[in-house]
Amino acid sequence: MLSRTAEYLYWISRYMERAETNARLLDVGYRMSLFPNPNGYNNEWESVLAAAGAIQGYKNKYDIIEQKKVEDYLFFDEDNPSSVYNCILNARNNALVVRTSFTPESWLAINKTYQEILKLKNNNFNASDLPNLTEWTIEQVNLFRGSLSSLLRNDGYNFLYLGLFVERADNSARLLDVKYFVLLPKPQYIGGNIDNMQWSILLRSLSSFNAFRWAYDGNVTSTKIADFLVLNSDCPRSLSFCIQNIVKHLTNLTCSPEKVTKIYNTLKDLNTKIQEEKIESIVDFGLHEFVTQFIHKISSVDSDIQKEFFN
Amino acid sequence: MYQSESEIRNHYNNINEWLEKMTAKVINEKNAEAETHFRNIGITFSTNSETARERIIPFDLIPRIFTFSEWSKLEKGVIQRAKALNAFLADIYNQGEIIKANIIPKELIFKKKSYEVSMFGFTPPRSIYSPIIGIDLVRTNHNEYFVLEDNCRTPSGVSYMLENREIMMRMFPDLFHKNRVTPIDDYPTRLLQTLMSLAPIKCNSSEPVCVLLTPGPLNSAYYEHSFLSDQMGIEMVESTDLFVEGEYLYMKTVDGPKKVDVVYRRIDDEFLDPLCFNPNSVIGIPGIMDVYRNGGVNICSAPGAGIADDKAIYVYVPEMIKFYLGEQPILENVQTWSCDKNNDLTYVLDNLSDLVVKEVDGSGGYGMLIGPKSSKSSIEEFRRKLSTNPRGYIAQPLLDLSFSPTLIKNQVEGRRVDLRPFCLMGENAQLSSGGLTRVAMNEGSFVVNSSQGGGVKDTWVLAE
Repeated sequence: MLSRTAEYLYWISRYMERAETNARLLDVGYRMSLFPNPNGYNNEWESVLAAAGAIQGYKNKYDIIEQKKVEDYLFFDEDNPSSVYNCILNARNNALVVRTSFTPESWLAINKTYQEILKLKNNNFNASDLPNLTEWTIEQVNLFRGSLSSLLRNDGYNFLYLGLFVERADNSARLLDVKYFVLLPKPQYIGGNIDNMQWSILLRSLSSFNAFRWAYDGNVTSTKIADFLVLNSDCPRSLSFCIQNIVKHLTNLTCSPEKVTKIYNTLKDLNTKIQEEKIESIVDFGLHEFVTQFIHKISSVDSDIQKEFFN
Repeated sequence: MYQSESEIRNHYNNINEWLEKMTAKVINEKNAEAETHFRNIGITFSTNSETARERIIPFDLIPRIFTFSEWSKLEKGVIQRAKALNAFLADIYNQGEIIKANIIPKELIFKKKSYEVSMFGFTPPRSIYSPIIGIDLVRTNHNEYFVLEDNCRTPSGVSYMLENREIMMRMFPDLFHKNRVTPIDDYPTRLLQTLMSLAPIKCNSSEPVCVLLTPGPLNSAYYEHSFLSDQMGIEMVESTDLFVEGEYLYMKTVDGPKKVDVVYRRIDDEFLDPLCFNPNSVIGIPGIMDVYRNGGVNICSAPGAGIADDKAIYVYVPEMIKFYLGEQPILENVQTWSCDKNNDLTYVLDNLSDLVVKEVDGSGGYGMLIGPKSSKSSIEEFRRKLSTNPRGYIAQPLLDLSFSPTLIKNQVEGRRVDLRPFCLMGENAQLSSGGLTRVAMNEGSFVVNSSQGGGVKDTWVLAE
């Protein structure tokens, strides 16, 4: 497989994953805007922007933070490199180059999504359309993921999934972090109603709300949610699940065993640690500190993959 | 389709019945379905236009049909021509017998930009310079076919031939039950076999590694590049994926370098090797020409193959067939005046308003004059151009191109068509069982190029 092909495949699934995360974030903002909020109307949209890592870009463009503008910025704006539109556009442009490396179904899934978002973009949408846009995005991304099941289980397949889980690990970690540092800036709210409401919104944004209920008995507590999203390897968005899958698809690669081993060695400790760790000790250590370390680690794995395989 | 005003040619009877049964509603639905399908699979072409970066070629639902016997004659004629063109290339890059025999003047060859000096004295595998030749044919009212031009470099359009058939089979399966249409879907396999049969001397594998070299996603034929490499199961590479080391060409893979034996290149000569052709080119693979000349890799088509489809050389193809093959040409050329000959130039200047004038190096239907359809001022403009640079132009009569029934606003109307079948030259010489039919969608138009409002049709060859 061409190095460039591997690189493009890796990025296609990163972009598709990112499109889903951003759409889900918008949904979080939308939900939060329907609840009374003591911090004022704009707060949830600002945290959504922060979670999407788009706050600087947004503020360069707009003076005030309001729903319609945030929606537009995160969903359609061509100036925002991570807007759903740009993610789909980039995924599609990459797919155009490597369509020979996956099935016609995968190409169709991406290209149809692109054709449709062009149409959506040209229609003026109302703020109340947002749930439909989110639902549409999730459907499209699922269509793409589903199409991957018909792929040959070769290195291309593993690079696609490496991209997916590197992106998801990063997104999940950032969302967790945002919960503490943006959604809940004032200590007096911790453990209060707002706190729990925001935790459950976080679960929704990670498509894990119902799953959490099934996985844990009793009350919803922040420790349980943190356990679910960090350590529970049954949860397909937890940091633990992501890291396990990165290891799996990395070690499944048949090309360049020495490069695989090299990257694996840098990951080994984190993988072991996250499988054995207890949530209490993470909370004692500081969830923010833990998540920050995790994000750094993922980012160095990402640059190792790019350096070793794509250059 | 029609023999005279009202009489339908036999082999179109089934189609005619089918057409009569289709309501406007169905036609609209099927047109929409075809367009959606083409957009979804991404069979678009890029234009210079700012407004629409990706456009779709209009697709006409009514197929163009050839009987087996009609096609057999075309097939022999095209293969004959493809052989002669390759023999011509082998000759002018070696002994130059045709020049010594005073059949083609040497300045017409050696002064051309498309004549590649670095190829002199080198013979590619099987002496084949141009393994994929697209011949543009037109039929006139007298049921005769003429060759409009040859395409010996990297003719495009074959993906339309294949996709047009796919969509027709998908939308109108009944038509294919009722008509015995020769399949064309083995074309990519044949193309791959052709490329593999052209492995370089130093390749000792029975399964040579072939790649398709594309200029990248901005190229107008990019869809075709990815489509063909996908169908053949070979890597589609850009020049940055390739590099030369020692005697061979390699591609960069996740597993390290992998040797490449045959490059089906879809980029122009001048972008192949900056060391040999264009030192300012940022695309290209430094050193590939050295590897090529030493038998480490084959480049298809060969650099310098373009001289064979030069419009000034075209005039001599019937002579080539007689000279190299000792045969009479099966397909005729369109009568052509080369403006570099004094007598011809005088005739052309006197009859400009009746003739079609083309630039020798032009393509895509641009830079041409259609005398009978042009204003006085553009005729005068061409008169000036011709007088200052006669060598740059040829002239042909305005052919009465055959009409093919075409759906225009749900009505069947006649529109002019041409045909490009694709000839493969490797271990065997063979013709695709069909081709690309291009149709001038505008009423009265003679220009079938997609850049100027041309559309396409599925092209059927009926089984014997």
